[in-house]
Amino acid sequence: MIDRVCREWGAARVAGLVLGLVAVAWTAPAGAYEAGPVANGGSISGTVKYKGTPPAAAKLDVNKDVEVCGAGGAKMSRELVVAADGGIQYAVVSIPGIAKGKPFPDAKPTLDQKGCEYMPHITVVQAGGEVEVLNSDGILHNIHSYPQENKNPPVNVAQPKFKKTIVLKSDSLKEPERIKLACDVHGWMQGWLIVENNPYLAITDQTGQFKLTDVPPGDYEITVWHEKLGEAKQKVTVKAGADTAANFELAGK
Amino acid sequence: MARRKERIDDEKKSYSAVFLLGVGMLLIGGVWAVWDDNISRRPWKKYQVDFSELQIERAKQAITDEDARLAKDPKYQDVSKALSAAEQSIADGETARQLAAAKQAEAAAKVHVDERDLDLRIVKSKLEEGWYEYEHALLTGGASDAAKAHIDELQVQKKEIENKLAQAQAQMQQYTSQAAEIRSNVENLEKEKRDLEKERERLQQRLENIVLLKIGPLDLPKIPKIQQVVLNEFDRNAYDQGVARVDRCTSCHAGIDKVGFDADPQPFATHPARDVLITKHPTDKFGCTPCHGGQGAAVNSVDMAHGEVKYWEHPLLRGDMVEAGCPACHTNLRLPHADQIAKGEQLFEQLGCVGCHLVQGYGDLPKTAPYLRRIGAKVNPEWLVSWIQNPQAYRPHTRMPNFMFTRDQASAIAAYLWSATQKESQDWLAAHPDAPAGVDPGNAALVEQGKAIADSVGCRGCHGFAPEESPARLGKTKDIAPNLSNIAQKTDARWIYNWLKNPRGYSPEARMPSLRLSDQEAVALTSYLLTLGASGAPAGGDGAALQSPQLVKDGGALVRKFGCGGCHNIPGMEQESRIGVELTVFGQKGLEELFFGNHTDIPETWYDWTYNKIKTPRTYETERIEQLMPQFSLDDEDVQSLLVFLKSRTERRTPHKYKPTDLGREEQLVAGRRLVERYNCIGCHVIENHGGAIRAFYKDSPTLAPPLLNGEGAKVQPDWLFGFLREPIPLRPWLKVRMPTFGLSDAETNAIVEYFLAQDKVQIPFVYVNDDGLPHEYVEAGKALASPDVFNCFSCHQRGEIKPEGPPEGWAPDLALARHRLNPEWIIAWLRNPSALMPGTKMPTFYNVEDEVPDGPEDILGGNEQKQIEALRDFVLTLHKASEQRAPLAGAQAAQANTAPANDGDDRQM
Repeated sequence: MIDRVCREWGAARVAGLVLGLVAVAWTAPAGAYEAGPVANGGSISGTVKYKGTPPAAAKLDVNKDVEVCGAGGAKMSRELVVAADGGIQYAVVSIPGIAKGKPFPDAKPTLDQKGCEYMPHITVVQAGGEVEVLNSDGILHNIHSYPQENKNPPVNVAQPKFKKTIVLKSDSLKEPERIKLACDVHGWMQGWLIVENNPYLAITDQTGQFKLTDVPPGDYEITVWHEKLGEAKQKVTVKAGADTAANFELAGK
Repeated sequence: MARRKERIDDEKKSYSAVFLLGVGMLLIGGVWAVWDDNISRRPWKKYQVDFSELQIERAKQAITDEDARLAKDPKYQDVSKALSAAEQSIADGETARQLAAAKQAEAAAKVHVDERDLDLRIVKSKLEEGWYEYEHALLTGGASDAAKAHIDELQVQKKEIENKLAQAQAQMQQYTSQAAEIRSNVENLEKEKRDLEKERERLQQRLENIVLLKIGPLDLPKIPKIQQVVLNEFDRNAYDQGVARVDRCTSCHAGIDKVGFDADPQPFATHPARDVLITKHPTDKFGCTPCHGGQGAAVNSVDMAHGEVKYWEHPLLRGDMVEAGCPACHTNLRLPHADQIAKGEQLFEQLGCVGCHLVQGYGDLPKTAPYLRRIGAKVNPEWLVSWIQNPQAYRPHTRMPNFMFTRDQASAIAAYLWSATQKESQDWLAAHPDAPAGVDPGNAALVEQGKAIADSVGCRGCHGFAPEESPARLGKTKDIAPNLSNIAQKTDARWIYNWLKNPRGYSPEARMPSLRLSDQEAVALTSYLLTLGASGAPAGGDGAALQSPQLVKDGGALVRKFGCGGCHNIPGMEQESRIGVELTVFGQKGLEELFFGNHTDIPETWYDWTYNKIKTPRTYETERIEQLMPQFSLDDEDVQSLLVFLKSRTERRTPHKYKPTDLGREEQLVAGRRLVERYNCIGCHVIENHGGAIRAFYKDSPTLAPPLLNGEGAKVQPDWLFGFLREPIPLRPWLKVRMPTFGLSDAETNAIVEYFLAQDKVQIPFVYVNDDGLPHEYVEAGKALASPDVFNCFSCHQRGEIKPEGPPEGWAPDLALARHRLNPEWIIAWLRNPSALMPGTKMPTFYNVEDEVPDGPEDILGGNEQKQIEALRDFVLTLHKASEQRAPLAGAQAAQANTAPANDGDDRQM
């Protein structure tokens, strides 16, 4: 009671709270990836195939700057490339949730604009990394990015004839996300930038095959994604020093 | 004789018990008086002390956190380590010896300096004495030579001593710098450490500012006192004199304008959206009750302070109801963090409430509902009767409310409408012969073509074409434009065709614009529309069933009684006034003014009465009291928005000095926004970050959607915009969707132009470009920059008649239009960062103006980015000369665009 009187008067009050030094535990951001050497890792390999009858390959309509873009004959769309046996090219197999594993091989990949196509069609970059963009064509291009989940800010930067190289800075490649690339000058140009915080990504080859190597043994859920066909997931168990098979089938939409 | 009572000896009696009791009671009374006066009757003190303690606790916590952060900061750790190592190194070993020696030598040298300094002072005194002797001798006529010689001697001595002192000082300085040299590393590190500790220092300072007194581990909070804001002349008394309003709310709500108490409970919480709401309305200038209501001066109980007691007329506005406080000062109700009031206002305006209820400020809005003077040419009588009886049966999301008419009443009203509009309808039918023979809903190819037109030219910005499809709703349940999913049942080919070609030809009030469809396009579109729904009887007809004069007479009485003319333009109803109660001060109606009918189940509050009135308008009807308000079937969320709007209708008048300084701008925003909503410009365009419903159809290719108009006021020249709104011309040849011709009046067009200018706070709207004064050097440089060898602007941009290579989808706007269309300042801002002005634009950034690296070629204007940007602008401003561009108001050509031939749509597409 006295205490209350005193306190209402602003006079002495025994402080009940003497705050100890509370060390705020440093918490790692969600989905952080810890890179280090992988001893006796396993691998995951397989094929991504098209379910059903694949549509005929589409030809690109090269209707502008033909002397540069049209060189080398007709260009085929790379949106959906299916081999005779159904293997799908340009599908991305990844282990999205992996927490620990091998280091990223290339911190600054190169993306070229050659013959008005993105080379490669799909570029993988580490989250927070940079991409060096070349303009081998020597004509005006622009890199217009469409982040699919709006986690990274979009970029739309011109690369005129005289600029052989520009760099996509890390602030637009911070968060793991799939980013579509397009050139507004040449409407048919399309490519992809996959930003990921771990290096376990494999892009299928012409036969639809992929291989993820140096995977620490354990249980994982792997994802395949294709720009036209969407996503599929699969659970796999990787054993030390052994290869695990994982095949996917993606149906046309 | 009575015997005298024996006298008691007072001195022998003890009164101590009485005194003890008296003193005890006095003491208790005194304690009670102090207690009651300071605690029981001052509940706010406890809140203030508790808040102070919370504040101190937070400040300490912040310091602790900062300490923890510093402990984790590798840089800080490095500096700390380096500092202690450096301190260690000068505390022992060879360095320490050197430092000690240097310091010792310095001290010794200092003694030496002091001695010389003393010698110097002595010799100076002797010199003074000598001068005195000498002058004295001169004045008294004594021998001055000896004195002069003595002075000279002393001068020599002084010189010597000065030299020695200088030497000694130099010596000392040398030792001092030696010591400093040894310590320099430590000092640098100390400074670096202090820099890293700056934030901690600031937090410490903050703690000290909020603590009254610090005794050991105790931090004593400040003594609580009444906090009040006086708003001079805010209110008017009964004699219309200005009286002050006093708000003491912050005596308890102590954290309301402080940062960092967002998650705390009331009364300590920080104001929501403090950075906007409190920054714009500082508590010490506006107080609290002007927005929130309540009894500002009361502090003795929570209920009193909140005004939630009997007879206080302005109780606290709780929850989103607080937004009802905004219109006291604001005219423009599209305000951040106040969505409800804006929504409520929009619903009130557009649901047609104003047709029956006058609210000052909303009295002269145009009629909400369709023009009925030619209704006999649009629909058939059977459809009309069904519609009047239950509009929702035909179109569930129509704005037309349900008047719950009987079939007989509906027939009577239809009969009145049929007879009153017969002449004008017949005239219209005579002037608009049947639709072209080409119209054929059975022709699949034609219907497909019509559907493609409906999907591409912009119809979908306003209309839904399938049941329940709606591009944008008014509130939750109403369609802004009619859903067309069964349009064939309502009207016929002739009406649709003519309406599509020229909506104003049927209704001079039409909100539907002309899409400048060619005859063939209109035929295809009409054919498509006729496939939507089962076709009904053709429009017109004799309406034989509705011919009875008694029916017509009854119908006229019903139309008058139910106030149909409030929303519709009906012949014979022009002089009718509003049938509903005026709602100008509805928000302050007391319970005695609200009639609850036979209800005992509705709590007697303003909110409950109004909620139920809007939800079920005739709920208060009794056997004796008839009610006429129709059923709107609104969602609860919309009712809530309307409640907020209605609550804001009071007779409160805020003095001018408390209102926004740019009321004129607010009025422009309100007037323009009403038009933009009336014509549903926001169905296609995003304006003020609202609308753009049609963009849902362009998710994969947003560049093919109608342009975003955020920032349009700063972008274009007002005279150009005026001309464009009156007579649109193609700007973006790659778009299939068309900017329609709305047939706006001059006043409307000006209001819209001002609205865009007001949004961007453009103070100086008109610009003058001196074509001959554009610097030649810059124009040439701009030409070089735009050339294919550098930026190659015309790879995408059209330039007068010169079209870019490739298909129109890849084109960009005609730069020859820039001179008359764009604000030259805007061109600069655009070139600096296009995506910032129009997110998602195809135009890439050529200059990254944020970095230091020059992005343009070095050989043009010395590589200076700003100069190059200006040069490009100047060059673009000259492009209109090269091609004879039609100016927007060049009547003949623009008019041609309006009635352009059918061959191709390209030159009319926006």
